Amino acid sequence: MVAAAGLRVVRCGGSPLHGARAVFSADARFLLCTAGDFVKVYSAATEELVRLLRGHGGLVTGVGLNPHNRLQLYSCSLDGSIKLWDFTDGILIKTFTVGYKLLALYALDSCEDSVFVIIPKRGERDTFQLVSVKLTKTTGQDVEAKEFSVVLEGVDASPKCTAFGREGEYVASAKNFHLQVYFFKRKQLNRFSLRATNAKGGNNLFTCVACHPKEDCIATGHADGKIRLWRNFYHNKEYVFSTMHWHHDRVMDLSFSIEGTSLLSGGVEAVLVQWHNGSDCKKDFLPRLGSAIEYISVSSDGTLYCTLHTDNRITIINSNLRFSKSIQGLIRARDVKTGLVVDPRTKALVLNGEAGHLQFYCLQSDKQLYSLDIVQQEYIQQEGLNQTDLVKVAFSAQGKWLATVEEREEEPDLELHLKLWFFDEETQSFKLNTQISMPHDDHITAMCFRDMDELEDDSLILVTAGKDCLFKVWVILEDTDPEAQQSLSWSCDFVGSYHNYQATNCCFSEDGSLLAVSFEETVTVWDSSTWDLKCTFCHPPGKIRDICFGRLTCSKYLIGATDHGFLCCWNLLSCALEWSAHLNVVILQPDPLSEHIAAVSWLSKESSLFVFKPNEPRPICIQRNLCKEKIQFAAFVPRDVPETVGSEKYIWLRRSQLYFLTDAQELMTFSTKSPEERLTVSSKQLAVEESLPVTPFSLLLGKHRHQQSQGDIDLTKVVRNHHEQDSPAVKELLHTPAHVLPSASFLCPIFINSLLISKEKKSAEEVADEVEMESEEAEEDSDEEKDVTEMEQENIKSMDLLEERTCKLSKAEEKELRKVRKMDYSWISAF
Amino acid sequence: MAAAAACGGEAAARPPLAFSPCDRRLLAVSGSDGRLRVWEAAGSRLRHEYVPSAHLSAACTCLAWAPPGGRPPPDKDGPQRKKRKSEAAEVDKQLDILAIGTAVGSILLYSTVKGELQSKLDGGHDNRINCVRWHQDNYCLYSCSEDKHIVEWNTQTCKVKCKWKGDNSSVSSLCISPDGKMLLSAGRTIKLWDLETKEVYRHFTGHATSVSSLMFTTVKPMNENKSFDGITGLYFLSGAIHDRLLSVWQIRSDRKEKNAVMSFTVTDEPTFIDLTVSEVKEEPVKLAVVCRDGQLHLFEHILNGYCKKPLTSNCTIQIATPGNDGDSTPKPVPILAAAFCTDKQSLLLVYGNTLQPIIEKVSLNTSESHICLIRDVQKVLALKTEVAVTKVKTPVVNSDTKVLVPGIPGHSAAVKTPSSGKEKNKSKRKPGESEDSIEERLGALDIDVSKVKTPGGLPQTDSFAVLLVQGLESNDSDILNKVLNTRKETLIKNTVARMPIHAVIPLLHELTKRLQGNPYSASQMVRWLKSVFTLHASYLSTLPDLIPQLGMLYQLMESRVKTLQKLSRLHGRLFLLVTQVAASETVQDVTEVNQTAKLVYEDESSEEEGSDDEMIADKDSDENWDEDEEKEEQSDEQDMTVEKEINGDSDLDPENESEEE
Repeated sequence: MVAAAGLRVVRCGGSPLHGARAVFSADARFLLCTAGDFVKVYSAATEELVRLLRGHGGLVTGVGLNPHNRLQLYSCSLDGSIKLWDFTDGILIKTFTVGYKLLALYALDSCEDSVFVIIPKRGERDTFQLVSVKLTKTTGQDVEAKEFSVVLEGVDASPKCTAFGREGEYVASAKNFHLQVYFFKRKQLNRFSLRATNAKGGNNLFTCVACHPKEDCIATGHADGKIRLWRNFYHNKEYVFSTMHWHHDRVMDLSFSIEGTSLLSGGVEAVLVQWHNGSDCKKDFLPRLGSAIEYISVSSDGTLYCTLHTDNRITIINSNLRFSKSIQGLIRARDVKTGLVVDPRTKALVLNGEAGHLQFYCLQSDKQLYSLDIVQQEYIQQEGLNQTDLVKVAFSAQGKWLATVEEREEEPDLELHLKLWFFDEETQSFKLNTQISMPHDDHITAMCFRDMDELEDDSLILVTAGKDCLFKVWVILEDTDPEAQQSLSWSCDFVGSYHNYQATNCCFSEDGSLLAVSFEETVTVWDSSTWDLKCTFCHPPGKIRDICFGRLTCSKYLIGATDHGFLCCWNLLSCALEWSAHLNVVILQPDPLSEHIAAVSWLSKESSLFVFKPNEPRPICIQRNLCKEKIQFAAFVPRDVPETVGSEKYIWLRRSQLYFLTDAQELMTFSTKSPEERLTVSSKQLAVEESLPVTPFSLLLGKHRHQQSQGDIDLTKVVRNHHEQDSPAVKELLHTPAHVLPSASFLCPIFINSLLISKEKKSAEEVADEVEMESEEAEEDSDEEKDVTEMEQENIKSMDLLEERTCKLSKAEEKELRKVRKMDYSWISAF
Repeated sequence: MAAAAACGGEAAARPPLAFSPCDRRLLAVSGSDGRLRVWEAAGSRLRHEYVPSAHLSAACTCLAWAPPGGRPPPDKDGPQRKKRKSEAAEVDKQLDILAIGTAVGSILLYSTVKGELQSKLDGGHDNRINCVRWHQDNYCLYSCSEDKHIVEWNTQTCKVKCKWKGDNSSVSSLCISPDGKMLLSAGRTIKLWDLETKEVYRHFTGHATSVSSLMFTTVKPMNENKSFDGITGLYFLSGAIHDRLLSVWQIRSDRKEKNAVMSFTVTDEPTFIDLTVSEVKEEPVKLAVVCRDGQLHLFEHILNGYCKKPLTSNCTIQIATPGNDGDSTPKPVPILAAAFCTDKQSLLLVYGNTLQPIIEKVSLNTSESHICLIRDVQKVLALKTEVAVTKVKTPVVNSDTKVLVPGIPGHSAAVKTPSSGKEKNKSKRKPGESEDSIEERLGALDIDVSKVKTPGGLPQTDSFAVLLVQGLESNDSDILNKVLNTRKETLIKNTVARMPIHAVIPLLHELTKRLQGNPYSASQMVRWLKSVFTLHASYLSTLPDLIPQLGMLYQLMESRVKTLQKLSRLHGRLFLLVTQVAASETVQDVTEVNQTAKLVYEDESSEEEGSDDEMIADKDSDENWDEDEEKEEQSDEQDMTVEKEINGDSDLDPENESEEE
């Protein structure tokens, strides 16, 4: 066996986004939602994926912000662990292992170090309990969290059916026809029950619960579309409830606004209803949201709402009920029947979308490009109503023609339409050219175009194979009828059958000269120019499940897979079986750009991939155990630029990439790059320091503040400057090294003298006292507003005042002062 | 100052736009309204819109996407970084930062993922920014401005790293060398700077006006034998405003040569240039130049030294509106930009107006020298203010769509056995021939059928028969309508009985055509059909080319009666029995009217025996015809009895249908 090292299966889209209620970050800039095993962080402003948090080994079932640090996120998963993330940087901080399947997570402000989770009860099936798990604050990445206490028994597994009340005082949980409310402080449990059906035939089954954030009020949604508001529920008997009714079917989710003034509800109608003040009469609607609303969440600042839809879409809605943004993943179709088809024009993957639509999914950006409304019928939401849906899609080689088959099965009748669309380059959209009703009398099993250079339309041929034992060949004809508006249209050219066996598959050889059609056990090969039956192949007793021709150098081979577990390769030249292998192949997919053929087998609940060339029975690459689910469809998507593949084994991945879709509608692909390589690419993010520019308002504010502080600074500066200017002695004193200075007693008078403001006229008499200095400075401080010149004047005045006082000094003191004055300070300047 | 104003005017004419590097998935356009919009190339959908706070005072002058990914962040906190790496999200090569140069000299760094401004680079320039360029490796940003300076920015700290005077006049364009060590700048003259020392390495002169675009066309010198120092031997391209020539220059080791190596000529001033960088010597450089007049010129040239003559474009692409309805004259749609896709085989065209450009992928086909694409811009564009909840597109469904329902020709071809496939073409030719031959024979026999009148018959019906034949021959719808709209059963019967046998097939064709029309007339036609089949079954069964002649009619019946098979079968069988019995009783009168051996029809058909004696073998021949038809269709069927059973009702189905109606 070939070692599987180096080739990894990578998920690339389609993870359900509506696994749990989404959470807005505290500043409402990011939206955090679960996506399969991951948590995705979207930017609420641009609908762009900012971070992908991965690490869980199972479906993530709940997310909640850490109430004590709003930049952290708790997530819980079926793998039995709670993880704490720093979602802005995408770092896993801690993993708490609980050891049970975790079905829902509630993180509350009031609880210091524990979160509430719903786990299955040990030993009993389908019984669940709400427990609080203590998350210990030990250091280290992986922490065991085994310490938990049961809060409520017998709760519903759905996270919608449990809600925590105002400030975490109580918890309300509904199951079937019972609502139980538990008060944490009083440790009291109240149970309320409803009758299964009421007189009018409504269904009272609880579907969801929400608690008012400010008042003691619980809102419950019911299966018949009613919403009940419960009050006064501390009493077992005197409780009251009011009923509001708008939804015609099950209420899917309820959510109170931040202040609790309005209640949001959503259901299968795809309408978001906003109820004001808990009254039945005042309500607002946001209709036409596309598909059923699964969850509703509200941002903590109340500006944004977000609804999660069943078709894998997130809608961000402004609080005034205006649609703002939508994030669309791979639409979950009810059933993918078309398989994976590549649109040659856009290189997008094409498959079933919503009922009657064809979705074009861009693989590079992992986003929906658009979806094409093929059936063009109003979608009617009703249980058990059969919708017209697309079953087959084919593109011609350049994407100029699109053929679609839609069917609606209403027992025992079958409605079939084959539509041929022409890509109109003028308007850049598909245009219906020919519509054929009931092309076959029974289900169409296969459809293919002859892939030739379709520069001239005449060579274009479409083949449909049906369960009515026929295959039909459709060609483009130029309309001779002058009344017809369009010159080209499709019509049937040939109808073939083989012994009244059901036609199951069809495909053209690479050069388009041969058509292979499989009829149950037999493969028939027809000449495409004369429609002669050339030869037949079979490998009894198995019926043919899939056929394809070899390409390029292997074009002389025809490969077929039977449902008896054989892969056969026939040589078209010798009409003999070249080789066969015992392999239960479910999908046979040839690479359009190379000789390689990928076969996916399904054996003992395990999908394996075998890649081979038809000219040798030995596979080039074997990849066992691709994924847990069964693989439904596969498709090779040509790469824009051939990738450099290191190993010879993966040479088949050079020109195109293999994508496959599992039963769970998850899209996967192969990556030859090691995880490190991929990560180095992604972690290389341009680190730009955030230096946000100022807005005009903050500019204005800042200017004002700036001016104020400027004034302060100016004054202090002035004062300081004043001193510095007038006291070179001080400066010199301070800057002279200590060891060369004379004694302090000698310097003191000099220092004091220098602080004085010199005056030419009365210099000799001036006496500077410490007391006087202080007063002077105080004066200065008090008159800060004044100018420098003014200040000088002020000083002079004060000096005058001082003079009078100095006159009263004793003779001896005067003598001393004079001495000081006469002193020679020139020595200082020497330094 | 005057120069600045002129440049400002020029900026209004061509809005700054930039394709995202590498995969060209996104297009950033700054419209004349000062808003920045990011469009997705696939599906030309608006990704998001950003309005800079000073979008009116400081208009955007240039744009540049930061290269995806990049240098890992500084490793000052090593261990933590490492941890982060191992947990890092798989955000594949996200394109994020967009540098926006403004008219007032500041540069904005905008995060397209978060949808918010990341930082503002201020204090480098005090005049209009003319060009910004990201360094491909170290995330430095280079900008040049009207204030004659070039500034190197550190985008991580948002500080000026280096600023130097680039020219004596304004610096209008920049380009970084493929190895990242040199920088080309251009005002009027082109200078090559060493980025380490910020010294001029080379001068290139030749443009009379200021250079608007600079681009390296090669990453490696063409002659491999010399050692490559990273810059010598490379070619680059320059275009200047008001200049219809693009010049190619080569950086040489000798300092003497300063003139352009070669030039490309275009129809107008180039506004947007894109090229595929050739890595191999043999690979030509593909160049797409969008001109001010809205045309796109494609060049393909292997760069190899001098070329005196200016090269003309290999292909010119223009876009125009169809102009068939409303306004009769097609109007040109300006191409705003073009970029090569990663496969180098197709081109992304941006056209329309800057507020809502249309982005289309066109595969390159340079066999034609001039291509005019016709695009209905009005239909493609629908200016919407509201964003749709879902991205549902509705394809066009017109009334002129051809609709094929069962029974309409072309819905399903005649069922053939595998062996009879080859005969298809032959049989197609046959009907015309055989008709001709009948005419010829009639002519040869000199029998004027219309003149034949039977004395004993009712004159009215006879004239009806004549009318019908005349109508069929002249294909006059008035006459045919008059005849075929008769409701009286007996009249129809008599008319059919009296009509000449050669008119049967044309009548059947006419009936088939009318059956496919509206259901009311179909019910009328069924009566005619019924009489034709009951009266002329024997004749029909003798025809060798019955299948091609009546296959369509057969399928029509098949599909119409499919829903009520059992009832119709019973009815058909009973009706057949009753009419056959009645026919054999009243056969005398009919045969009197019938032509007795007017025409002896000889054919190789094996079923001929039935036609010889009409009276006795009427029923048999009827059966035979059916069998004939059925046999061809279902040759696989082995069981003859079963086949006959099916045959029995196959021709009588129309009657049942008429019963329904």
